[in-house]
Amino acid sequence: MLIELKDVNKTYNNGQPLHVLKGINLGIDSGEFVSIMGASGSGKSTLLNILGILDNYDTGEYHIDGRLIKNLSEKQAAAYRNKMIGFIFQSFNLIGFKTAVENVELPLFYQGVNRRKRHELAMQYLDRLGLAGWAGHYPNEMSGGQKQRVAIARALITNPKIILADEPTGALDSKTSEEVMQLLGELNRQDKVTIIVVTHESGVANCTDKIVHIKDGVIGRIEDNREHHSSMFGTQTIMK
Amino acid sequence: MRFDVDTYREIADSLVRNKSRSLLTGFGVFWGIFMLLFLMGGGQGLRQLISANFQGFATNTCILIPDRTTMPWKGMKQGRRWHMTYTDVERMKMMVPELETVTPMVSNWGQEAVLGPNTISGNIKGVYADYQNIEEPQLRYGRYINESDVLHGRKVCVIGKRIYTSLFPQGGDPCGTMIKVGPVYYQVVGVDFNSGNMNINGSADEAIVIPLPIAQKVYQRGNDIDLLCATARKGFKSSQLEDRMRAIMAREHQFDPSDRNAMFVINTEQIFAIVDNLFTGLNFLIWLVGLGTILAGVIGVSNIMMVTVKERTTEIGIRRAIGATPRDILGQIIMESISLTLVAGSFGIVFAVLLLELLKKIVSMATAGASVQADPEFQISFWTAVAAAVLLSLLGVVAGLAPASRAMSIKPVDAMRDE
Repeated sequence: MLIELKDVNKTYNNGQPLHVLKGINLGIDSGEFVSIMGASGSGKSTLLNILGILDNYDTGEYHIDGRLIKNLSEKQAAAYRNKMIGFIFQSFNLIGFKTAVENVELPLFYQGVNRRKRHELAMQYLDRLGLAGWAGHYPNEMSGGQKQRVAIARALITNPKIILADEPTGALDSKTSEEVMQLLGELNRQDKVTIIVVTHESGVANCTDKIVHIKDGVIGRIEDNREHHSSMFGTQTIMK
Repeated sequence: MRFDVDTYREIADSLVRNKSRSLLTGFGVFWGIFMLLFLMGGGQGLRQLISANFQGFATNTCILIPDRTTMPWKGMKQGRRWHMTYTDVERMKMMVPELETVTPMVSNWGQEAVLGPNTISGNIKGVYADYQNIEEPQLRYGRYINESDVLHGRKVCVIGKRIYTSLFPQGGDPCGTMIKVGPVYYQVVGVDFNSGNMNINGSADEAIVIPLPIAQKVYQRGNDIDLLCATARKGFKSSQLEDRMRAIMAREHQFDPSDRNAMFVINTEQIFAIVDNLFTGLNFLIWLVGLGTILAGVIGVSNIMMVTVKERTTEIGIRRAIGATPRDILGQIIMESISLTLVAGSFGIVFAVLLLELLKKIVSMATAGASVQADPEFQISFWTAVAAAVLLSLLGVVAGLAPASRAMSIKPVDAMRDE
């Protein structure tokens, strides 16, 4: 098991205590393409934050590759995020005053990789995602799909064990959404990258091989979706 | 914190991105350091300019001058005149061993000095050789009055700068020339170019200094002297000895020792102390104003960094999410703060140096014709500039602390929440 969650609980204490995750048990194997699906307020974002070591949990255990992730110092957490996890955000979260290639280089900068080497690598990844010609452009000169591909390149560059995508298609139109999901699928099949997508759109979830339904802080059904017949883009769906 | 070409490029980028903001913030620091250095240089130059007036004058000297009594004493009326005599010199030397030099002076103002067609009005000062301990001569030519002149009653004189330039307009060494002053011919033995503005009995410029016994004889003064100068030995303050000298004089010349007006006492130590205090106060003010201004500038930097951090919450969150440690963020913000402070401050240093150079030129032009030969140094020293740069870096760190700690508290989750 690459990822193992054992009875993870999380309560927010902002005035009224809010028990968001009520004992999550989840295991994800290396090379899986999983989506975590749930309505807003279901606790999926909190789960993603915990998976991404962006937030702490109260009780339970979370292992990545056998390593217990609990009560880490900021420095350790930063190092784990940097080396093991690649993030893809809904709003791309590229740094606006940096060019595409500079954005992709950034994780390597924090790893202390030297300038020439990280530039070379960033160019390779941009090239793979078909954006070599856009390397010198700033995010505001690119389309949403291009921006998300830059973000994917940035997530891939450190060669992480897990890619966490938080509503990766949330800011994209349906055609681009499909392209991005196909791209993630290819990465999963060709490079055997473990990808976890958090979404509330069934069409997006349908592109993945396994759908984890989360509701009110509890994991419900875990659906095997290798046939991709759960819900298609554009057909009989509630989305887009 | 990683040192990399990109680190510096990033700092430069983020400062240049908000040009007018950086410029305005930097101006505060620029103006602060400029004010501090300019005031420091100006104060130093002013001090030297004023100090030039005291050039060559012993700093711990008491000058005793007899005056009319203002109180009745032992049946004698007030308003009585009394005279100091040469005996008082010996008496002071004996009774107040803390005194180093005790030397009298006899003077006569407004004496016509003549050489050929040239005439000038000057003041005769009759002195002993040890008078040079009081008012140090700056001899351009020849020598000062010596013991032998006094002992043998030689009619020799040392002339001041103005007397020299008037009687010897062609210049050159005048020693050996006979000049007529009042009724008597004297041989010039020296020229004193002392230009300080602190003098006894008239400016050194217009003085014709002769041996005291000659002055007493020529002007029929008997054993009388006009005034008495006394310097205290090292470790003693002339002001402490003043009261004792007053008491001795009062006993000998029979006036009320509590009659402050019977004898006029000038204490140079007090005058120097006043000037010294003035400049200590001025310096304090300079530091207060200078540091205050620079502090205001630095607070401006701190403020603007706060705004920057707030604006860049998302960016910082992204950086944290993809692996920046809090230390990386701290370094980034502090480096930005230092850069802004240091760059702006460097311009301030350069500007202050340029303006002080200009001030120096103007002042030296303005004082070129003055009698006081001062070459005040307004320019700050190299090490002052270095210290200012170090101070700026430190202030940059201080300015960056609060914004950096705020930046460090940004959680990566904030980046996503902000959208």
